[in-house]
Amino acid sequence: MEVKDGRYAHGDAPPNVVLDTGTLIRGPRAFARFKSTRTLALVVGKNCTLDGVHFALNPDARLTIGDDCAFSGSLILVEAEITIGNRVVIGWNAVLSDSDFHPIDPDERRLDAIACSTLPEGPRRHYASKPVVIGDDVFVGHNATVLKGVTIGAGAFIEPGAMVTRDIPPGARVLGNPAIVVTEA
Amino acid sequence: MPKPRMVLRQYDGDWEPAEMPENIALDPTAYLHSVESFGLCRGVFDPAVSVGRGSQVNYGTAFDVGQQGRILIGNYVLLTAVMFQCDASITVGDYTMISWSAVIMDTYRWPRNFEERAKELTQLTERFERRPAVVVPAQPVVIGENVWIGFEAVILPGVTIGNDSIVGARSVVATNVPPGVVVAGNPARVVKSLRRKDQK
Repeated sequence: MEVKDGRYAHGDAPPNVVLDTGTLIRGPRAFARFKSTRTLALVVGKNCTLDGVHFALNPDARLTIGDDCAFSGSLILVEAEITIGNRVVIGWNAVLSDSDFHPIDPDERRLDAIACSTLPEGPRRHYASKPVVIGDDVFVGHNATVLKGVTIGAGAFIEPGAMVTRDIPPGARVLGNPAIVVTEA
Repeated sequence: MPKPRMVLRQYDGDWEPAEMPENIALDPTAYLHSVESFGLCRGVFDPAVSVGRGSQVNYGTAFDVGQQGRILIGNYVLLTAVMFQCDASITVGDYTMISWSAVIMDTYRWPRNFEERAKELTQLTERFERRPAVVVPAQPVVIGENVWIGFEAVILPGVTIGNDSIVGARSVVATNVPPGVVVAGNPARVVKSLRRKDQK
């Protein structure tokens, strides 16, 4: 694997993380929940500043981040795949997720609760996921949430606290829970 | 009743490892991350908090139980960093999963009337505990079986959530939720039914 000279401020990043020139990840808990075993699990482009971001990647997960991004204190939960473009800003406490992590169907959910318990009474099943794609020049405000299967078009502006459950067209400004488009491009 | 198993585990940022109150009924198979969860438990009932078989009380969960409060957690329940604020009763049914930073409250603790609130606030420094003296009527919260509550959701006083329902992430639930539905938004509204056609 090509060695690039981005930096993790608290020691060595996991071996399947590639940080390109000028990129800096800060925060001692950044990789506390990083479980991905893929060859290239986290690929970050040039000149990104990722402060206090939690990279919670499950074993099969891949997260790709473009150039010149700035994230602060956000939580990125990946079950399969999340792709983030160039020049994206993500605010504090924002959550991006590509999975629901538990089944929706009541009967399956009951089995899942048993599998999650402390008693060895059932194996955990694989849960469904849909990729999340965030385009170039997107702004994601503080406390905003992006749920599974969402594609956010280039230049969209996600207001703080918005709960994004559907695709967002390029250049739109969205607001609220659930998020609705208030200004079109 | 079996003696509660005391599990004290240090974790990063565990500032105040505390002693476990005696009136906590923890099933021997239940998991407790830290006794810090009971730092705000002032309940006088026995048990003030009970946790059932195979349930997990993970990091950051806080049981803020007033003197007349009682929290009953069922079997196979999964709690992660949930904030309980209880002055009467909060019941969580079997197989229920509650995600991180959800808030479940059965009381606002402060009077609704602003004049009464101002009176309490001006007298607060005279009391050792720095808590309001008036007891605001609490409205019990009941969370049914096999409910799934998304992260950072808020369940307001007096709410009953029916069996098998789902509360979306970051929703605020102000009214009762029927069984077998998905609710989401602020305020939370029913967005979907989970019951199959052949079920009623």
